[in-house]
Amino acid sequence: MAAFVLRRVLLMIPTLWVIATLTFFLMRLAPGGPFLAEKDIPPAAKAQLEKAYGLDRPLGQQYLSFLTHAARLDFGPSYKFPARQVREIIFEAFPVSLELGLWALLFATLIGVPIGVIAAVKQNSGADFAAMAAALAGVSIPNFVLGPALVLGLSLTLFLFPPALWEGPQSRILPVLTLSTAYVAYIARLTRGGMLEVLRQDYIRTARAKGLPERKVVFKHALKLGILPVVSYLGPAMARIVMGSIVVETLFAIPGLGRHLVNGAFNRDYTLVLGVVLFYAAFLMTLNLVVDIAYTRLDPRVELS
Amino acid sequence: MQRIALVLLATLALACAPHASAVRQTSSTGPRYFGDVTPPVGNVLTFTNGAEPERIDPGVISGQPDGRVARAIFEGLTTPDPRTMEPQPGLAYRWEISADGRTYTFHLRPGLVWSDGSALTAQDFLWSWRRVLAPETASRSAGLLFPIDHAQAFNEGKLENGMQLGLAAPDDSTFVVRLAAPTSYFLFLTQYYTFLPVPRRVIEKYGARWTNPGNIVSNGPFLLDKWRQGDRFEFVRNPRYWDAQSVKLDRVVALSVDDINTCTNLYKAGVADWNTSGNIPSQFIPYMRDFADFRAEPYQGVYFYSINLTRKPFDNPWVRRALAYAVDRETICRDLLKGARDPWGDLAPYGYPGYVNPPGQTFDPARARACLARAGYPQGRGFPRFAILFNTSEDHRRIAEAVQAMWKNVLGIDVTLANEEWGSYLQDATALHYDIARRSWIGDYLDPNSFLACFRTGDGNNRTGFADARYDAMLDRAATELDPGRRMAILAQAETFLLDQAPVIPIYRYRTSELVKPYVRGLYPTPLDTHPLKGVWIDHDWNRAPAVARR
Amino acid sequence: MSGAAPAFAPTADAGALASSSRPESLWADAWKRLRRNRAAVCSGIFLLALGLLAVSAPWLPGLANPTAQDLRLGATPPSSAHWFGTDELGRDTLARVIHGGRISLLVGLVGTLVSLVIGVSYGAVAGYRGGRTDEMMMRAVDVLYSLPYIFLVILLLVFFSRSILMLFVALGLVQWLTMARIVRGQVLSLKQQNFVEAARALGAGDGAIIFRHIVPNTLGPVIVYTTLTVPAVILQEAFLSFLGLGVQPPAASWGTLVSDGARLLALFPWLVIFPGLALSLTLFCFNFLGDGLRDALDPQDRREVS
Repeated sequence: MAAFVLRRVLLMIPTLWVIATLTFFLMRLAPGGPFLAEKDIPPAAKAQLEKAYGLDRPLGQQYLSFLTHAARLDFGPSYKFPARQVREIIFEAFPVSLELGLWALLFATLIGVPIGVIAAVKQNSGADFAAMAAALAGVSIPNFVLGPALVLGLSLTLFLFPPALWEGPQSRILPVLTLSTAYVAYIARLTRGGMLEVLRQDYIRTARAKGLPERKVVFKHALKLGILPVVSYLGPAMARIVMGSIVVETLFAIPGLGRHLVNGAFNRDYTLVLGVVLFYAAFLMTLNLVVDIAYTRLDPRVELS
Repeated sequence: MQRIALVLLATLALACAPHASAVRQTSSTGPRYFGDVTPPVGNVLTFTNGAEPERIDPGVISGQPDGRVARAIFEGLTTPDPRTMEPQPGLAYRWEISADGRTYTFHLRPGLVWSDGSALTAQDFLWSWRRVLAPETASRSAGLLFPIDHAQAFNEGKLENGMQLGLAAPDDSTFVVRLAAPTSYFLFLTQYYTFLPVPRRVIEKYGARWTNPGNIVSNGPFLLDKWRQGDRFEFVRNPRYWDAQSVKLDRVVALSVDDINTCTNLYKAGVADWNTSGNIPSQFIPYMRDFADFRAEPYQGVYFYSINLTRKPFDNPWVRRALAYAVDRETICRDLLKGARDPWGDLAPYGYPGYVNPPGQTFDPARARACLARAGYPQGRGFPRFAILFNTSEDHRRIAEAVQAMWKNVLGIDVTLANEEWGSYLQDATALHYDIARRSWIGDYLDPNSFLACFRTGDGNNRTGFADARYDAMLDRAATELDPGRRMAILAQAETFLLDQAPVIPIYRYRTSELVKPYVRGLYPTPLDTHPLKGVWIDHDWNRAPAVARR
Repeated sequence: MSGAAPAFAPTADAGALASSSRPESLWADAWKRLRRNRAAVCSGIFLLALGLLAVSAPWLPGLANPTAQDLRLGATPPSSAHWFGTDELGRDTLARVIHGGRISLLVGLVGTLVSLVIGVSYGAVAGYRGGRTDEMMMRAVDVLYSLPYIFLVILLLVFFSRSILMLFVALGLVQWLTMARIVRGQVLSLKQQNFVEAARALGAGDGAIIFRHIVPNTLGPVIVYTTLTVPAVILQEAFLSFLGLGVQPPAASWGTLVSDGARLLALFPWLVIFPGLALSLTLFCFNFLGDGLRDALDPQDRREVS
C-alpha cells in the first residue's frame, strides 16, 4: 500500500510539469497582455511594467523562472491584482469552492443514490422511468436557468434566502441546489447501472434463495458494491465541481476558484491562471488516489496494481 | 422529484409575482419602493461596487469602482461638494491663485495626521504627485497632471537642465503648484483620486503590497478593514481623520459584484442599500421609473463608436460621414434602450457652464446615401465588409445588432459583429486592430476639454488614428485663452470640426441609473457619479418623518 | 459537465451467443429490445421530427428570417401573430428557437463527430498496439484529463477566434478523452478474439485490422456514448454562450437564447421558457435514447430475456 501511494505521488510530478509547460505556453501565445485598461498607458510606463514583471525577458528565461518558483509554491503576484499573491488568492478561494462542492455532491448523493436504487430494483417499471426522468430533468435544465429561477422564486418573491453572496448558512442553500441538480442525474444513473450489475450476481441470488428479505439483500449486500461506480465518479467529480461551478459562482457572486480561473483567462492574468491550473491538477490527482484507495476498501476483489 | 418540485415552485412564484414589485415593509401611502426597505442594524452602508478594482493605490488607478474605494480612505487638497461637485476645502483650508492664473498656493490645515499617527505635511503632497508623474510608477492617469509645469516632460523622462517640475513645498503646511498655462479646471482636478496623497514610508517599505489591510496607512474618513478577493471591501471610521466628528457611518461595505442582475437582486432583497450607477439591466429601467428610490440623472459620459482611420476605406471622411448619418440614435434610445439613455450626437455632454454644444450628428438617411455615393460607393456597391468590435455585454451587442441592421437598410453595406472579452477588446482597440469599435468616455472633470483632448494627435486615449493639426491648434489656442467665454467658444469650434470629420459616432449620453434606499441620507445624484461618503448616514426613522423631496 | 464514464460490460462473449435458443445477430436482438423501451422510442421519434424541422427551417413560410428586427415592437408576450412572443429587438421568438435548434443540433453533431473520430482512432490504436505505446498514449490522456477542460476551451476560443469552426473543434477536443478510453478498453479485449487471428493469418495489415475488423465490433458502446455526448456538447455550448464565447450574433443557438433569456426572467419569461423547453426536451430525449440503447445493447441483459 505504501509503495503504491508513493509511486502515485512520484508520478504526479512529471504530469504536473507537462501541465505547467502546456499552460504556460498556451497563455503566452494567447493575444492580449495583462496591462490594458480603458485609460491608455504611455509606452514608457508600459515598458516599465513589463520589466517589473519580467515580461521583457526571453520566453525561455521566463519559463525557467516560472518553474523554479512554482516548485517552491511561489506563483508570484497576480498580474491583474498586483497587491495580491496568487498563493493567497488560491488559499482564500479554495475553501469556498470546496465547501460549495462538498455540499452539492453530498446533496446529490443523498438524492441520487436512492433514486438509482429504486430505479434499479424496479427496473423497467413506471417507477424506474419516473425516477430516471426526474433525475434527467436536472441535467437538462442548465444551471444558468435554474439559478435565476430559484432566486426569483425563493429569494426575491418569498424572501426565504439571500439572492447572492456567501455569508451565513442560508446563503448556501440556493447555490448548492443549483449546482447539485446535474450531479443528481449522473449519480442516479451510475447507481442504477451499478446496482443492476450487482443484482445479477450469483451471490445475490444465493442470498435471495436463502430467504433474506429483499430490503436486506439490496441494502446490506448489494448496495456496498453497487455504489462503486459512484465512488469512482465522486473523485473526479469533486475536482470538476470545484472548477466547473463557474456559473453558480457568477450568478451568486461567490468568491470561488472557478470564477478566478475564468476571469484570469479573460484578463490574461498569467500567474493566477498558471497557479490555479496547477493547483487543480494536483488536487484532481490526489482525489483520484484517494478514490482508488477507497475502492479497495469497498471491493475486496480489486487489487492495487 | 425534488428538482421538478423546486422548479414548479419557482415557476408558480414567478407566475404570481407581478413585474419586480414585491415590497416587504410597506410604506403607508405614497411612494413605492423597489424591494425590502428595512434599514440595516446600526450605521452601516452596503453598496454594490461593480467589477473588482485591480488596485486601490490612488496614484495609479482608473475606473469608478477603484475610485470609490480610494476616495473612502484617502482625502486630498479639496473634496467635491456632495451635490454640485464644486471643489470644497479638504486638507487645504484655503488657497490663493495668482493673477496670471498659473500659480496655486494651498494652505494645509494644522495638525493633520495619517492613520498611524505620523504627521501629514505638504511634502507628502509633493512626493505623491511626483510619484504619479515618475515614469517608473507607470500610472495610467499621469496625464491628468500634465497641466503642471514641465510635468509631461518629467513623465516622459525628458526633463532637461534648467527645467523644474512645477511643484514646491516651502514649509510643512504650504504647497505651491505652478502650471504651464492657466487651466480653469485645475481646482477640480485636485479632488480627483490621482491627486490624493499617499504615505511614503509605507510604500517604500511594502512596495506593491502596501495597500493590503494591515499594511495600509491612509488619511481619509474611513480605514480599510478587510479586503476579500472577489467579494468585498470593508471600511471602518478613521478616528484620526481631521473631521472625524462629521463622519456618521460606523462601517461601509463595498461589494465587488460584477453581474448586474445580481447587483439588482441584492438591492431588492435589502442586502445592499445602494446599487451604484450602471448596475441595473437596461430592460428593467422602464419599470424602475415607478419607484421612488430609482434615480436617473444625466451625467458626464458618452457612448460612441470609434472609427479606425488607419484602415481603408475609413480614411475617407465621406465614408465616415455616411456611417454617422445612417445611425438612428432616437430609435436606439427610445425603443431598444427604452428611454434609459438620451440620444446624443455630440462628443461632449451638456451641462458645462458656459458651454454651448454644437448641433452634432443627426440621423439623415438621404444625406448618408449621398455621402457614401460621393465617397465612391453608390448604394453601397463595392463597399468592403467590416466588423463592429465590442466587449462582451448584452447591451453592447443589442446596440451593435441594431446599428448593423441600420447600415444595411440605409446604406446597403454588410457588417459583421466581433464580440471579444474585455482583455482582447482593449488590446485590439488600443492597437488599432479593428474597423469600428464601441467605446465610452466618462469625464474626469467638469469641462468639455476632458472629452475633446482625447482626440489630439497621438494622445493615448485617441485610439482612432485621427491626427489633424488644425484640431490640435484649436485646442492649443483654447488652452492658453484666459477669457472663459472665448475659451468655450473655441472649444465649441473644435468640437464642431471634430464631429464633421467624424472619427467618432456618438450614440447616447449616459444617465445614472442607480437605486438608493429611502433611509440613506446624504447621497445625492451628481454629474460625475462621484459620491463622497463622509456625509452619508442611515436614518432609522426615515418613514416616520414627513417625506422630503431631496432633489 | 462532460458525461459520466459509463460502466460497460465486456463485449459479447461467444458463450452467450451460442447458448441462446434462437441464433440472432446482436443488432436484431438489440433493436427488438430497444423497441420495447417506449421512452427511448418516443425520444427517437421526437429527435427525428426535430431534425427534420431544423433542416427545413429556411424554407418554412413565415419562419425563414430570425433576424428581422422591429425595434418599435420590442418584447411582447406570445400572441397569435407571434406564437412564442418577441424579444427586445422585436424578433420573432418562434423563428429564433427553430433556427437556434439548427445551430445547436449542428454544433452538437459536429462536435460529437470530431470527438468520435479522434477518440475512436486514438483509442483503437492505443488498445491494439498495447505495451509501451498504449501506456504512453493513455498517460497522455491522463494528463489531459487533469486539465480543467473549461479553461482549455476558453483559451482555444480566445486564442484562435470565435468562428463556428473553432467552436466545433474546441468542443470536440473536450469530449474525445472518454471515448478514447472506452474504445481502448473494448479493443484490448477484442484483440484476443479469433477473428483477429484469422485476419492476421490472411495477411491483413495492422491498419486494416484495426479499422475494418476491430472498430466495427466496438460500435455498440461507441453508439451509446455518442448519443450521450451530443447533449453534453450542446450543453457545453450553452455554457460557453453564457460566458459570451459561444455562437456569435446575429446567429443564436439555444444556448445563447436561454442564457440571455434567463437574465430577463422577471420581465419577459417567454424568452427563456420556450428555448429552455426546446433545449431541455432535446437533451432529455438524447439521454433517454442513449440509456435505452445502452440497455438494448447490454449483452448481460440478453440472457435474462431470451
